[in-house]
Amino acid sequence: MSTLTISVGPQHPGSGHFRLIVTLDGDRIVDAIPDPGYVHRGEEKLAEYRNYIQNIPHFERMGLHDANNMMFAYVNAVEHLMDLKVPERADYIRVIMAELNRLIAHLYYTAITGIFVGHSTMFMWPVGDRELFIDLAQMIAGQRVSYAFILPGGVRNDMPEEVKKKAEKACDYFEKRLVEYDKLLMNNPLFERRAKGVGILTKQDAIRLGVVGPALRASGVKFDVRRNDPYSVYDRLDFDIPVSNDGDTWARVWVHMEEMKQSMRIIRQALKQIPTGPVKVNLRGQVRVPPGESFGRAEASRGEISYYLVSDGGRFPYRLRVITPSFRNMIAMPYVLKGMVLADMPPSYWSLDYWPVEADR
Amino acid sequence: MTETPKVEPKLPERGKKIAEDITAKFGGDLVSIDVKLRRIKMKVKANRIMDAASYLNDNFGYDHVISVSGVDYLKDNEMEVVYHAATYGNAELSDLVIALAARLPRDNPKTPSLIAVWPSAEYAERETFEMVGIVFEGHPKMERLILPEDWHEIPPLRKDYRNPGR
Amino acid sequence: MSQIRTFNDFLKRIAIVVGALVVILAVIFGILVFTVPQVKAFNNLLLASFSNPRLMLDFLDRHGVGFNSLLFRVVVFPGFTWAALIAAEVIWFERKFLAKMQVRVGPLYAGKIAGLLQPIADVIKLLFKEMISPARSDKLIYYSVPVLLMAIGSALLAIIPVSEAWLIMRSDVSVLAIFAVAGFGPLVVLLAGWASNSKYPFIGGLRGLHQLVAFEIPMLVSVLGIVLAAGTLDMVNVVQAQSSVWFVVLMPLGAIAFFCCMLAELERLPFDMPEAESEIVVGYMTEYSSMAFGNLQGLAAYIRFYAMAGIFTTLFLGGWHGPQILPAGFEIAQQVEWFTIKTLAVMVLVIILRGVAPRYRMDLLLRMGWARLLVLAFVNLFLVLLIIQMGWFPIKVGV
Repeated sequence: MSTLTISVGPQHPGSGHFRLIVTLDGDRIVDAIPDPGYVHRGEEKLAEYRNYIQNIPHFERMGLHDANNMMFAYVNAVEHLMDLKVPERADYIRVIMAELNRLIAHLYYTAITGIFVGHSTMFMWPVGDRELFIDLAQMIAGQRVSYAFILPGGVRNDMPEEVKKKAEKACDYFEKRLVEYDKLLMNNPLFERRAKGVGILTKQDAIRLGVVGPALRASGVKFDVRRNDPYSVYDRLDFDIPVSNDGDTWARVWVHMEEMKQSMRIIRQALKQIPTGPVKVNLRGQVRVPPGESFGRAEASRGEISYYLVSDGGRFPYRLRVITPSFRNMIAMPYVLKGMVLADMPPSYWSLDYWPVEADR
Repeated sequence: MTETPKVEPKLPERGKKIAEDITAKFGGDLVSIDVKLRRIKMKVKANRIMDAASYLNDNFGYDHVISVSGVDYLKDNEMEVVYHAATYGNAELSDLVIALAARLPRDNPKTPSLIAVWPSAEYAERETFEMVGIVFEGHPKMERLILPEDWHEIPPLRKDYRNPGR
Repeated sequence: MSQIRTFNDFLKRIAIVVGALVVILAVIFGILVFTVPQVKAFNNLLLASFSNPRLMLDFLDRHGVGFNSLLFRVVVFPGFTWAALIAAEVIWFERKFLAKMQVRVGPLYAGKIAGLLQPIADVIKLLFKEMISPARSDKLIYYSVPVLLMAIGSALLAIIPVSEAWLIMRSDVSVLAIFAVAGFGPLVVLLAGWASNSKYPFIGGLRGLHQLVAFEIPMLVSVLGIVLAAGTLDMVNVVQAQSSVWFVVLMPLGAIAFFCCMLAELERLPFDMPEAESEIVVGYMTEYSSMAFGNLQGLAAYIRFYAMAGIFTTLFLGGWHGPQILPAGFEIAQQVEWFTIKTLAVMVLVIILRGVAPRYRMDLLLRMGWARLLVLAFVNLFLVLLIIQMGWFPIKVGV
């Protein structure tokens, strides 16, 4: 058997900053080995040289369009160790920001799915519609991408009241757009032919490999940290967890589409329920974390992100271990890609929620 | 199909019961066990880590690993390897993360790879190997994952590694 | 002279060089006019013809470059320049139109009005880029591929009757000539992939070969119906046979099959697998740079696009026929205008498809080519045969 080995990446329009060593037999993929590390920043080591507040901006860099969710798990870990209760209003603002970020990241995901199947319109539309939510996030946090907004003890600033009206308008508009996305991509016969039944990740494999996020839920496992290990005020909000039993590329994209609807539902509820009051605890000087260990997790847009924090009571964390959803989903890549044709490789690997910057940390 | 959000009573009793089970099973080999609301940290002797993992997997349905971490305790001249395990299959315990830890000698940190029990640990173990220098015996591919191929210094997350420019 | 620092300096330099050349040539010509009698006679004729257009035409005709000469037809209209202009215009239109579909603005700055000169700006940019060839590539084949692809596209132009009077080459078998010329396509694509000595172009070349070969046969069969109906292999006669009713009405199945095959032959979305950028970069063009790439991706591709759209118009949409809108005496102009409008309409249809369809997959595409389109083309052929046999055909068979 003669095979052809090609390096997809790191300079390739269909890869991010990572390499996928693909072995082909004809047009079939025999083996696909991910080779990450091209955008490794050493976040864990950096964290050991920075105090608890300074760590926030550089952890956000792991998943820029998912910055608030990256921070959510971190502050969960820090606050748990400090035994800190944040004001209720801050909790709601955090949830709103986290869900806005989920929308932004899912729209990015949809866009790249579109371009990976060669659908340039499906790339441009979601990228354009992302502006809606980026603008909203900017109104709340003052920044468009990297917010540094969620801090131990609350959020950096209060949100203006007109966000409520604008968010309502944006959600109304975007619900209409989602119908058009369905027409253009999800129910497009060409996309269905290419994505249904392709890149199947079975339920057993998904559980065994510890896959997270939408990829896990598309394989039929109903697990969402927001529901299964509720943090912040997620246990007071009403939302569904979309689950599909197909486990193929189409199902994974579908789960993202449904989650966007749920995110808008959460934002609407949170904006209705949000109480008035302070938005942060005054921590007086530098944040000091008592010695001990804590494990914070949150549901980022790509799946479960977790921080394992070991503190010795000093100014800096003693050890901070970050595990991102992309890193955990990378393990499923060979299982999903094996046996498919080369043309299905980019949409399938992307549908697993793999983002190189996040995986390398 | 609207689910009403229900606030389950996350009883620390449940965690305590599991802790009792673990203590009964491992007895003297259990170095320490620490129960919090939704987290349990159990530290076992290094030679029993495989048994502990299988025990968690078989009895409580802990089917995957969230993270594998290595912590360098320079003062104690020891290293700690920590597996954070969780479960998808057992819905009742899905919020309870069990950290399974073991202390290893710092000069020669070796521990059996838990891939046989938890295949999801594969890449995390590889990363721990290159970042902290803990060798996982029996791992099929104990190689560099993220660090550059020409990395020639000690594993960077050890405490005696000095960042250049710091 | 001063050093070139900005683009303006560059334009100035070009103006100076061209101006100097004009002055020098004028001086030489002036000297020759007063010394050589033949040149003097030529000069007098030239001066006279400037005052009288008819004399000018005669003058051009006499020297073999007039409107009726073959050279004019090949080079200017309806040959290369015309096609290249349409290609440039369609490239601009495609970008602007797709941008509107995708809620963008598209080209905006070059050319003041809606980025009209963007294609030209792109060509200038590409011309000044360095041409790089991969190490150990087969240089001769590597560099001849852009030329060959351009040649294939341009050769197709020769047989398209833009109007009764404007046709580069009339042949008894011009329908067959389409396939004779287009049949080179797969070979060139394969050569491009092979000569680049690189993996992605190689995969792209193989894909191109598979795809083009798979769609050649359904294409040929779908045209057979027309040949039977018109009773001729001459494109001009095919158009004349459609004076009362277009073939697209008589054989819609054949038109659909031909249109799909055309998309595949042109490597346009949804069938652009040979250049699928998300998996194999740009396929067989990956290693090309500078104007060679601009030629493959832009000019040659779009001239081929125009040619195939023109062939579709000629075969199925009645060529130059159309309701009279211009006053009598302008029949030829009207024929050209109808042909152009129809061709552009076909091209717009193809461009719309690019906006709404994702890329298909190779195995599905081949199955479609061999199993669906071929069957469709044969069904079409048998229906045409049946209709002819039963004598239901609305037009006279065999012009």
